[in-house]
Amino acid sequence: MIEQRARLPELRERIRRIEQPTAAVHGVLPFGVAAIDRVLPGGGLARGALHEILGMGGDEEDGAVAAGFAAGILGRLTGAGNGGTVLWCLPRPDLYGPGLAGHGLDPARLVLVQAPRDSEILWAMEEGLRAPGIAAVVGEVGTLTAVASRRLQLAAERSGITAFLLRRWRDSGQAARERNLPDAAVTRWRIAASPSQPPPIPSPARGGGVGWGSGVGCPRWRVELLRCRGAEPACWEVEKANATGFVSLASALADRPAAPVPAERFRRAG
Amino acid sequence: MPLADALSFFPGLATAAAEPAEDAAALRRLAEWCGRYSPWTAPDGIDGVKIEITGSAHLWGGEEALAADLMARLDRRHLTTSIAIADTLGAAWATARFAEASRLPVILPPGDCRAALAPLPVEALRLDPATTQGLRRVGLKRVGDLAAMPRDALARRFGETVTRRLDQAQGDLPEPLSPLGEAPTRRVRLSFAEPIADPANLLRATERLVEDLVPRLAQEGTGARRLDLGFHRVDGRVERIRLGTARPSRDPRHLAALFKERLDTVDPGLGIEDVILAAFAVEPLPPEQIELPHPNPPRLAGEGREGAGERGGDIAPLLDRLGNRLGLAAVSRFEPCESHIPERASVHVPISIAPAKVGAQRQSAPVPGSLDPRLCGDGEIQPPRPVRLFDPPEQVEAFWLLPDDPPFRFAWRRRRHRVTRADGPERIAEEWWQLEGSSAVDAIRDYYRVEDEEGRRFWLFRTGLHGHDRSPHWFVHGVFS
Repeated sequence: MIEQRARLPELRERIRRIEQPTAAVHGVLPFGVAAIDRVLPGGGLARGALHEILGMGGDEEDGAVAAGFAAGILGRLTGAGNGGTVLWCLPRPDLYGPGLAGHGLDPARLVLVQAPRDSEILWAMEEGLRAPGIAAVVGEVGTLTAVASRRLQLAAERSGITAFLLRRWRDSGQAARERNLPDAAVTRWRIAASPSQPPPIPSPARGGGVGWGSGVGCPRWRVELLRCRGAEPACWEVEKANATGFVSLASALADRPAAPVPAERFRRAG
Repeated sequence: MPLADALSFFPGLATAAAEPAEDAAALRRLAEWCGRYSPWTAPDGIDGVKIEITGSAHLWGGEEALAADLMARLDRRHLTTSIAIADTLGAAWATARFAEASRLPVILPPGDCRAALAPLPVEALRLDPATTQGLRRVGLKRVGDLAAMPRDALARRFGETVTRRLDQAQGDLPEPLSPLGEAPTRRVRLSFAEPIADPANLLRATERLVEDLVPRLAQEGTGARRLDLGFHRVDGRVERIRLGTARPSRDPRHLAALFKERLDTVDPGLGIEDVILAAFAVEPLPPEQIELPHPNPPRLAGEGREGAGERGGDIAPLLDRLGNRLGLAAVSRFEPCESHIPERASVHVPISIAPAKVGAQRQSAPVPGSLDPRLCGDGEIQPPRPVRLFDPPEQVEAFWLLPDDPPFRFAWRRRRHRVTRADGPERIAEEWWQLEGSSAVDAIRDYYRVEDEEGRRFWLFRTGLHGHDRSPHWFVHGVFS
């Protein structure tokens, strides 16, 4: 009788696996923000899956906000004793280590692969998704075919390595063509910068004059979950709380202040 | 004799234009082809090839067999040859050119080659024509005549060269051969009785060579950094695959896989008769435990802060695959540097540069601020840094009011931005010890973090001074996330 009861959770787990293969096989990575984790199946971002991150407006070309969002996730994926190397494939060497460190991703964990063509970046990503010792693969890709994204998704599923596609387009024309094409990614996010709230203490440097009364506050993003297998689209306003890469709901919208962060998370990188 | 004279003597004369460059290239190719006998080959003058066969003759069953094989192969290509093997380069040179005409290779027995050299004319000593003429004028016609003369008198009258060449030919002075290419550290060869051309056979040959090379490297405790796989074609051309590895390697499966990816670039032509695998740069690689293949590789739980450096062993095969397709320079990692100039504080270093040194450097000199901008050594808050940094910075058209104000509007990459919030300035000046930097246009920069109406945040800086010959200019240096 006891034995049978013990088997019950196991059976539940098996059913869950059949229903949602990717999230259940490799586990999930929670954001640590209840409002977001509640929406995502399994309570977090699926590991061993392909996630697509889009920018908005001019950032579709620069890819800064998307990179920051990805760096925050990667920081949590590789930080706190998890280890592993992140393979970051990019067309131009404009990624800046200290900026990534500001999002909680240790730049020493990165291996950068620079390739001018999308096809080469996709190839490098796929190679990375087969290698043990790699914790995650990031690729900045412009043109993506459905077949290529399917290959990446399958490779990620097989190896359990999480893959991120940062969509970065040449110009607004290419962005308009590519933005809404379907692909095989498990989730599709769109991150847009939104105006920051002035910090509580006004910046003393620029008082008066032509409206430079307050400085730039904590970075704020509008995070949209455009598509996710097994979840409804959703949208949050989040604020980057600190250097560890945790995001919290913007205090004006959430009913609680920034998520508390344990002090040891202020880890000196390097 | 001018061509016109020659044609008048013999009207049916067949003529061909001299093509010294083509001839030299052909000779070079021939010398390269001779690499099948020894790695130490070089073209000699305009009509010769030198091969250092010390230690490699036994692979061919002795010097006679080697010479016979060489002659047979050259005959097949309709090259008239004169082959000599001797103890010294000078003696071989002299014998090949001035010994009694016979089609067979001349092999001087090891030991004293003075006797063999004595009857040869003085031209056999590789001297310039003026010197040989001078020697002949005083009646010194044979090498033997010279050997009998007092050396200091010879040197005084005809120069050091004469005695030096004589000593070199007789083996009293060493004469190293500088090979055509770099001499490899380790080399393995596979020859075929019948030329092969099938891709599957090429692959099999490659795998066998790699398996042949690896035990030798393992025995020495080294791993290869640069490899060269040469396919010697029947027509004398050599097709090569050159490989570099990010870290020393002697994993046969890994090396074979690297070659396999490039095998389709090899054009076998009419067939390939020799395949030679040479390891050039080798580096110490301590023996390691052989891993059993794991059906599904475990998630590696690595501690520590070294990241890429520490687990380089795991990902080395991946880095090699990436590097050999995209170029080793395309695979890099971040390296923090002690500089407050933003573009110098973090640089991309190719992964193939030894990581041990970098790791030690990083441990001995942690750079505050460049890794975690929020925390400095003494707990001081560092200003935030952008996620994207443009090098070089991109100039923008900006409008501002007071000399120290951030712009209220700027245009960058065909987009206009209206600034709603700004932080700054943060002044970053050229390091004073950079001599050449003091004259640079952007020696002093005032950085502002600005936010536009949409909420996008940029890192702008102004350089130049008002009322100065360098008027202020604005640049976008980075984009914040």
